Amino acid sequence: MTETATRVIEAQGLMKSFGSLDALRGCDLEVTAGECVGLLGPNGAGKSTFIGCLYGTVAPTGGELRVFGLDPKREPRAVKARIGIVPQENALDEELTVLENMRLYARFVGLPRGMATERIEQLLAHMALDHKRDAPIRSLSGGMKRRLAFVRALLVNPELLILDEPTTGLDPTVRHLIWERVLGYRQEGKTVLVTTHYMHEAELLCNRIVILDAGRVMAMGSPQELIQQYAPGFVGYFPAETEIRLRPNLPPGTATFEQGRQFCVRAPRFEDLTELQRVTNVSAVQLRPASLEDVYLKLTGHGLDENE
Amino acid sequence: MKMNSLITTARLSWHVAVRNWVVYRKDFIANISPTLADPALVLASLGVGLSPFIGHIGGRTYAEFLAPGMVATTALFTAFFECSYGFYIRMTFESVFKAMLTTAIGVPDIVIGEFIWVAIRAGLMATGSGLVLLALGLVPNLWACLLFPFIGGLLALPCGAIGLLSASLVRNINQFQTVYSFVIAPIYYLSGVFFPLTGLSWLSVLVQFSPFYHGVRLLQMSSWGEWNWVEGLSHLAALLAFTIALGWLSFLQVRRKLIL
Ligand SMILES: Nc1ncnc2c1ncn2[C@@H]1O[C@H](COP(=O)(O)OP(=O)(O)OP(=O)(O)O)[C@@H](O)[C@H]1O
Ligand SMILES: [Mg+2]
Repeated sequence: MTETATRVIEAQGLMKSFGSLDALRGCDLEVTAGECVGLLGPNGAGKSTFIGCLYGTVAPTGGELRVFGLDPKREPRAVKARIGIVPQENALDEELTVLENMRLYARFVGLPRGMATERIEQLLAHMALDHKRDAPIRSLSGGMKRRLAFVRALLVNPELLILDEPTTGLDPTVRHLIWERVLGYRQEGKTVLVTTHYMHEAELLCNRIVILDAGRVMAMGSPQELIQQYAPGFVGYFPAETEIRLRPNLPPGTATFEQGRQFCVRAPRFEDLTELQRVTNVSAVQLRPASLEDVYLKLTGHGLDENE
Repeated sequence: MKMNSLITTARLSWHVAVRNWVVYRKDFIANISPTLADPALVLASLGVGLSPFIGHIGGRTYAEFLAPGMVATTALFTAFFECSYGFYIRMTFESVFKAMLTTAIGVPDIVIGEFIWVAIRAGLMATGSGLVLLALGLVPNLWACLLFPFIGGLLALPCGAIGLLSASLVRNINQFQTVYSFVIAPIYYLSGVFFPLTGLSWLSVLVQFSPFYHGVRLLQMSSWGEWNWVEGLSHLAALLAFTIALGWLSFLQVRRKLIL
């Protein structure tokens, strides 16, 4: 296999402007077959715009983009035949029943009738929706609709699965079900691109994280690499009023910030925090290892980081 | 390769039309009533009510004169409303096309599919109203009924294109009222449905630019049994030309809305 054959997505300097608004400003991103890449970034960072470029509903205004080595703008059909998309908005036909809806989509993706019925049944069972096959979409809960959007995306048995905020607004049970399924697809060798605002979800599902802000890639790497590089160590949460007592005793190499009305200290080693508590006689509300969320907040500038 | 993609386009457009049918049949009665109610009302009020005061037009009672125009009106309203309000709702509130575009379906397939759907639907509705008129004894040439689905369907294409164009240009759903008042209503009232255009020189020139007029004439000629090949072919050609021109324009505008 050649090198480009294993590259599922290649974006170089990808740009998109809506009038005077630049949604993507030179976005560089590569996704290799079998990867699960998490696209993180604040609202309006350009995640959905990037995804739209991948299947041809957004026409880039600059840069290079290849999906399976093809230009999605020029050969959308060939590209879309190999990807399954769960868009940010479910866009299901509310008046139709679950089965009617999926049968229509099976036609759209060119599944022969006999095969379609079998595949739909199989996927409905896979997403725990088989008991709803005759229910009108209108009557489904948000979580059921979301799972149905997964069924729809999986009808083509895609090589690349694109999930735009798959679990936003879902309860923990459904979320766990979706995570479990996505991990399954990874095992089957599917490539996954997922956007999310849940850092825990990204850490759990993705081998690589891309942080997008204002249309540009701010950082990229495995969750561990990103934490090591941008926010290593451990974080202690202290009551806000103890800040004056803590400040003079901060060990070297610590960062401080405020979060949820608490004074937070991130130190390189766990012992630094225990020592700080002992010296100042202030006990922390919570101690935890630094996480992807710390990286995210720091990079997208909403962590109100004071020190660095 | 080229041939293959044309076949795929045909297949996918057909599926887009099927989708509309699947949704439409859910509420069949409510969906077909308004388009039939309107011409029926016109016929009752003008044809029956006004007819005695008017006398004959070209040897026909006023009701007979109105009848083919009502067939055309059914096609016009079916096509315009389906492609304006209907398409707009599918595009914005229901996000139907957002979902379709995640599959092999592209914008050309969507637009062609909408045209297939509206031609079939308007053709059938026109035939339906034509059959009612036939039963009322208002269609002298029985054989014309065989042409109603085709003329109705063809007439629906440019009228549907006007609908699609407006659906891709309006800023909100209320603006269709404006399109109706300034485009559809003039077309409807001035295209020779209610009065013959012979002798009104300026209007008979102006009306050539109304695709609806050409459909009305085709229906009048066939249902009165006054077929004239030269005039008939010129109207057919005009309808085709309007279909191609307006269809292409509406495709460009719809693409602007669906591909950001
Ligand atoms: N159709 C459009 N017309 C004009 N601007 C748009 C359009 N679609 C998106 N934008 C703008 O492009 C930018 C990127 O939007 P995008 O939807 O890609 O963000 P996102 O990262 O997906 O955000 P979210 O997390 O809220 O889904 C935003 O500033 C948005 O306002
Ligand atoms: Mg988004």
